[in-house]
Amino acid sequence: MQPTAAFAMTGLALLLSACGSRAEAPVEQIVVRQPGAVAASAPVGAPDAGDPVAAGKVAFAACAACHSAAPGAASGIGPNLHGVVGRAAGSAPGFSYSPAISKSGITWTERELDTFLANPAAKVPGTSMAAGQVTDAPRRAAIIAYLASLKD
Amino acid sequence: MMKLTINGKVTAVDVDPAMPILWVVREKLGLTGTKFGCGMALCGACTVHLDGRPVRSCSTPIAEAEGKAITTIEGVAGPEGELSKVQQAWISEQVPQCGYCQSGQIMAATALLRDNPSPSDADIDAAMAGNLCRCGTYVRIRRAIKVAAGLEPAKGAPQTGSAQA
Amino acid sequence: MNEIAKPAQRSRAAKWSRRGFIGAGVLAGGTLLIGVAVRPGNPVGKLGSLVAGGQGEQLINSWLKIDADNIVTAIVPHCEMGQGAHSVLAQMLADELDADWSLVRVMQAPADGSYVVTDTIRGFVAQGTLGAPDWLEPTWNGLFTRIGRLADGMITGGSSSVRTTGQHTMRIAGAAARQMLVGAAARAWGVPAAEITTAGSVLSHKASGRSAPYARFAAAAAEEDMPQTPALKAPGDYRLMGTDAPRTDIPAKVNGTASFGIDAVVTGQTMTYAAVRRAPVPGTRVAKMDASAAKAMPGVLQILNMGDFLAVVADSYWQAQQALNAITAEYTAPESSIRSSQDQFARFSAALDEAGEAGGKEVIALGDAKGAMAGAARKISADYQVPYLAHAPLEPMNATVWVRDGKCEIWTSTQVPLMARSAAAKALDISADDVTMHHPLLGGGFGRRLEVDYVIMAARIGQATGYPVKMIWSREEDTQKGLFRCADMSRFTGGLDARGRLVAYNNVFTQRNDPADACDCAFYDIPNKSIRVAEAELHLPFAAFRSVDHSQQAFFIESFIDEAAQAAGRDPLEFRLAMLGQSPRHKAVLEKAAAMAGWSTRPAAGRGRGIALTESFGTIVAEVVEVDMSSGKPRATNVWCAADPGFAMNPDGFRNQMEGGIVFGLTAALYGEISLRDGAVEQGNFHDYKLLRMDECPAIAVEIINGKHEKLGGAGEPGLPPVAPALANAIFAATAKRIRALPISKHFA
Repeated sequence: MQPTAAFAMTGLALLLSACGSRAEAPVEQIVVRQPGAVAASAPVGAPDAGDPVAAGKVAFAACAACHSAAPGAASGIGPNLHGVVGRAAGSAPGFSYSPAISKSGITWTERELDTFLANPAAKVPGTSMAAGQVTDAPRRAAIIAYLASLKD
Repeated sequence: MMKLTINGKVTAVDVDPAMPILWVVREKLGLTGTKFGCGMALCGACTVHLDGRPVRSCSTPIAEAEGKAITTIEGVAGPEGELSKVQQAWISEQVPQCGYCQSGQIMAATALLRDNPSPSDADIDAAMAGNLCRCGTYVRIRRAIKVAAGLEPAKGAPQTGSAQA
Repeated sequence: MNEIAKPAQRSRAAKWSRRGFIGAGVLAGGTLLIGVAVRPGNPVGKLGSLVAGGQGEQLINSWLKIDADNIVTAIVPHCEMGQGAHSVLAQMLADELDADWSLVRVMQAPADGSYVVTDTIRGFVAQGTLGAPDWLEPTWNGLFTRIGRLADGMITGGSSSVRTTGQHTMRIAGAAARQMLVGAAARAWGVPAAEITTAGSVLSHKASGRSAPYARFAAAAAEEDMPQTPALKAPGDYRLMGTDAPRTDIPAKVNGTASFGIDAVVTGQTMTYAAVRRAPVPGTRVAKMDASAAKAMPGVLQILNMGDFLAVVADSYWQAQQALNAITAEYTAPESSIRSSQDQFARFSAALDEAGEAGGKEVIALGDAKGAMAGAARKISADYQVPYLAHAPLEPMNATVWVRDGKCEIWTSTQVPLMARSAAAKALDISADDVTMHHPLLGGGFGRRLEVDYVIMAARIGQATGYPVKMIWSREEDTQKGLFRCADMSRFTGGLDARGRLVAYNNVFTQRNDPADACDCAFYDIPNKSIRVAEAELHLPFAAFRSVDHSQQAFFIESFIDEAAQAAGRDPLEFRLAMLGQSPRHKAVLEKAAAMAGWSTRPAAGRGRGIALTESFGTIVAEVVEVDMSSGKPRATNVWCAADPGFAMNPDGFRNQMEGGIVFGLTAALYGEISLRDGAVEQGNFHDYKLLRMDECPAIAVEIINGKHEKLGGAGEPGLPPVAPALANAIFAATAKRIRALPISKHFA
């Protein structure tokens, strides 16, 4: 019953090992401006209201957490969306789709995308697109306009 | 400037319209009850309501909230701080451990009970599966939702523990 | 060496008891302050100001305050990371004090050397030495005090808060305060102290009909002699201990007001935010950075190449992260030849091969394992393996720093505030006294926040900027670039005698950290054992993970015991019970779990049950898992858990910890895997580093056996170890498929 193990001095090692590294200054430091100072350029991200593709590109930033859009870029959490408008649902090469999307039979027209983005889970129950609902219609239209512009 | 309605108050912020709601409420409005967990709508810690619907604020641009009512965890209790049924159940069932995910859990549960006042276990699982809890309080969350729905009695505390010899 | 108390003096200043070093004093406004000092003669000014919120009174190290409104504040040296330590330690103090629980508040002790948790250090360092002769006790106390200070040991870990600080500090402080309040009241009322009773924060003298709240005598109590060894309650007299007193930290966690490290704000300052990217392979550095696109992006304030990592400081964290994503970089070539998980496991395998039947470093040797194996009627052997794991607390690593004028202020979630302070001081080349720590609630720790790497990074960024900056790691950074539960491999051979008893047990594995006895199962009556470690290089840096070595060793050992039972043709429960003749508490726990699960009944078709028994951090836990295999993939439907922690100070809190440990363990068993490609971690976020979700969470039942009041076990970790082997054993029962490598989900893809 009695183990022959010695005292656990590893505990002390754990305590003593958590020492800091030596002071190390930056190799490179690029100072753009000071905090609180106004940016030199006009605020970026305020799109021209008359250009839905530009507005859509800004709005797409939220989608970009999961979707790449550059031609040939690897899929992430979601499939690459380059050329998505007009292609069959579940057809981006190399992406593992939910069965729901694969079997949906949808071709991603702008209209189909509109109803999908308005409520993904209602349009394709079982889709693994957890985020991505865009309830604002003009915003949706802008994102779709941007997606439609992504063609080879 | 963007006009926003947050927890019933109208406010204006000057931010990039693509900035996720999460960072606007945390950094610009000082409402830190909404948490950052993953940045990809995978964990639910950032859940807030837009017009009563739960959304993942880490992946929803603030522009999406314009003209809608944003509710965060700070807006769940009544004007005098009176706790909602869900919040009360979270206390009576002693749900939280570290507590980091619980704002998101409470927002998800609140939305569930608004749509479905008497949820089944399967309803609860489906509604709550998007909210991760690393401490593992799922069993208590399930029970607290039922308590809030009036489907089970509150445990109530303090109680004497059942000490066996 | 050891600190022997001076004779008690009647004064307002500190007085010391021999064992507890208790002192008392009065803060502004008549607040009584009771302290259990680490050493006599502590400078009082600084600490008094820390705990009194700047009112600057006399005392020393302090554990409780009673103010004019009769509010008792327990000052707790441990961190609150979900385990409930703040509340239960206050509960223990309040019980000895006979305080009204609704009038008790909790304060996080400041990061100051006076709050080193000596008893925890002792638990970490000297496992197995408790029970040393009494005459050695003062020597030990002095030694551990010195070690504690040397190592900045204000730590929260090892499932130790209740059984160390709670038992040896908070209860003593509460009991001493009660005794002094009684003394003061007796003097004022002119009655014998023995006739005064206390309850609900009120002093009463029945014969004269007098009563008063504690607050009335708080100031006078400080004039009383310090009790040398205040009498502690016997279990029969507990009023709060052993009850489900509601946790004090929960109300703030349901309305968004609870403040975590990531919520820090530097009052009156413009906040800035940093996103960081470390070089992808451990030990590599940034060779080249191209930030031309990032520089022009909105909100960007600074771009830093720190050598071992890149940082972007911006007006908002989101902008900082966007700009960081736009930076391209090249990194130095890795030195390690381990590029893939296969490489890592090949190292383990080679080390085990080289060690063979008798090589490596001996950990346990009992009887004659070699001889017994030679004489065994039947031999079995098996190799098991586990992958690296990330801790993945839901609050990613973060720290807010403000470095200015040779001083530094830090706000961060940490399990080791003093080590974090020292590490920052060292990185900044300033004195630790010039670093002020704020350590609010932790959004999960699990051992990850015993490390201070992220605090050092933030300090270095803060030094470069000179203004307040909050560094936040992305989830990807947190998953890929931190420290990890080690991967490991374990090889067993066992010998059964003609009657099917396990008489020879030979085990060698490659990783050994803590606790020292995690690789053993001493409660089983196995007469001949050889347990050895054949060390092998790890590619990823190590950090203690919830239950540390038990997190892998329990899977190895209890899977092998199950295989031995199968080889012996015995029921897994019966086989274990037959080996518990000398371990009645373990036997009772195992029988209880089996009874809860209805072990003797047959599970439904497609289902199986598995059982496992462990002892970790002083708590004995048995779990039965029922698994449903009818879909072809394992789904844990039920977990029945029986646990004997000696005595559960807060049974509901203890159950919550068991439930949490089980879910944490199920995540690790089913999904947990950090794998390597090109030397870097492959997983990034919760889509490929999966955590158990609500719809996968089994029903969990927990029962507590209070088996030995005088020897307490921990709560935070012991629930985890049995669940992986119990699940794997259940899958075997249902399918005859033996899982020898985690995670389980990979076998059913």
